[in-house]
Amino acid sequence: MVDTKRVCCQPERGLVLRDVTLTAGSTCVLRDASLTVPLSGMTLLSGRNGAGKSTLLRAMLGLVPLQGGEILTHGLPPAQARQHIGYMPQSVTDAALLLPAVSHVRAAVDGLRWGLPLRLRPRREEADRLLALTGASAFAHRPLGLLSGGERQRVGLAQALAGNPDLLLLDEPLAALDHAGQEQTVRLLGDLTARLGIGIVLTSHETEALAGVVTRVMQLADGGLHVRV
Amino acid sequence: MFEFDFMRHAFVGAAVVSVLAGTVGWFLMLRRQAFAAHALSHIGFSGAAGAVWLGFPPLSGMVVFSLMAGFVIGAEREGERGVPAQRDSTIGLVLAASLGLGAWFLHMSNRGSSLATTLLFGDVLGIDLRTLEALCGVAVLCLGLLAFLGRRLLFASLAPEVARARGVPARLVSVVFMAVAALACAACAEVAGALLAFSLMIGPAATALKLGLGPLAGIALSVGLALGLSWGGLMLSWVTDAPVPFWIGLGAALSYALADLWRRFRSL
Repeated sequence: MVDTKRVCCQPERGLVLRDVTLTAGSTCVLRDASLTVPLSGMTLLSGRNGAGKSTLLRAMLGLVPLQGGEILTHGLPPAQARQHIGYMPQSVTDAALLLPAVSHVRAAVDGLRWGLPLRLRPRREEADRLLALTGASAFAHRPLGLLSGGERQRVGLAQALAGNPDLLLLDEPLAALDHAGQEQTVRLLGDLTARLGIGIVLTSHETEALAGVVTRVMQLADGGLHVRV
Repeated sequence: MFEFDFMRHAFVGAAVVSVLAGTVGWFLMLRRQAFAAHALSHIGFSGAAGAVWLGFPPLSGMVVFSLMAGFVIGAEREGERGVPAQRDSTIGLVLAASLGLGAWFLHMSNRGSSLATTLLFGDVLGIDLRTLEALCGVAVLCLGLLAFLGRRLLFASLAPEVARARGVPARLVSVVFMAVAALACAACAEVAGALLAFSLMIGPAATALKLGLGPLAGIALSVGLALGLSWGGLMLSWVTDAPVPFWIGLGAALSYALADLWRRFRSL
């Protein structure tokens, strides 16, 4: 569930870039870019291969440093904003493939806490809820390594939803899926934005599969970010 | 066999080390750091050789050397996907440097072959009360740190990028865990010797992971198997006169092979 109290109290919804310079290796992703864009609904972050889409997502989370300027998400700098953001990287996970999928989600549910849990049931129930939300309950107890690409994406989404985020950043969620898998994932993402009111920013080259679903497109090109609705 | 003090000490020492090895080993295998477990126990050998040369107990040298190596390995800068890109190279070079030092320590201590044999193959029947107390201290410290770190360590091990994105201090967690692993390796080497210390860490944990068990059940099985291997090794050694590490190593490989067979049988 979305924490509405938290949402209401935040001053500035959306993504704000102020004179941002960001590089990835020798590629200049953004050069003195300034922009304010809402992040409600589904936002497609597009750009050619190597343009720096993943780097920009990671910069929003504070995982890569900016060379200048600042990024605010929902009015907060990355270190604070990431408490309200769920993230699914491009390769969902290739660690511990023999562990059941549900263990991966349980680890994400209380992975920010120190010490031993006093009660295990709340964590189990929350993990089950997230897996149900992403349609992954049926294969939750199978080893992650035996799941298909689409099934793993659902487990990854359940992980990203841990902590009840307001915003999901999804890096290429449609990559390596066949046409049917892409359709299912797009339907699921649309369902999440509609039911939970969560904003989604995703990178993808599959613009056809997303047609009619995305609220806006942010195009990363020539050191700038261009928005079209 | 329990009428002798040295046997009672051996069983208690093996139990303490098994609980530690089963738990730490499970996390090491989960994080694909089997090579680190192998290297840390060998690095401990060099430390022990140095300690003997300087007139200190071997366990103290093992702990100091393993701990230093653990910090170096754990502090390596992470790559883009949250896993150090050069991890194996770093471990290999730290291992090479410390083994070189170990050879020099042995040369200087002038007790080369007999000392090396003891350190490499362990002397579980030679554990005295003082060593037992030290082992208990190391185990309590390691398990306490693991309990404190556990949930963040598990998250950072299963989904390193997602954990970092949510604010888990993955590098700090990694450094502290490697320090714990280093201490555990030193403790294991006291029982199984530097050459086979990692068999107690790797065998039971790999078997538990192979069976696809979740964290709690996996760690419980890993500890149980480690206990079975070390106590079984002691008993078989008593009966057959073959060294304890021989039975531990053989048992570790056998348990993994059985788990593999069972998994194949289930998937038919």
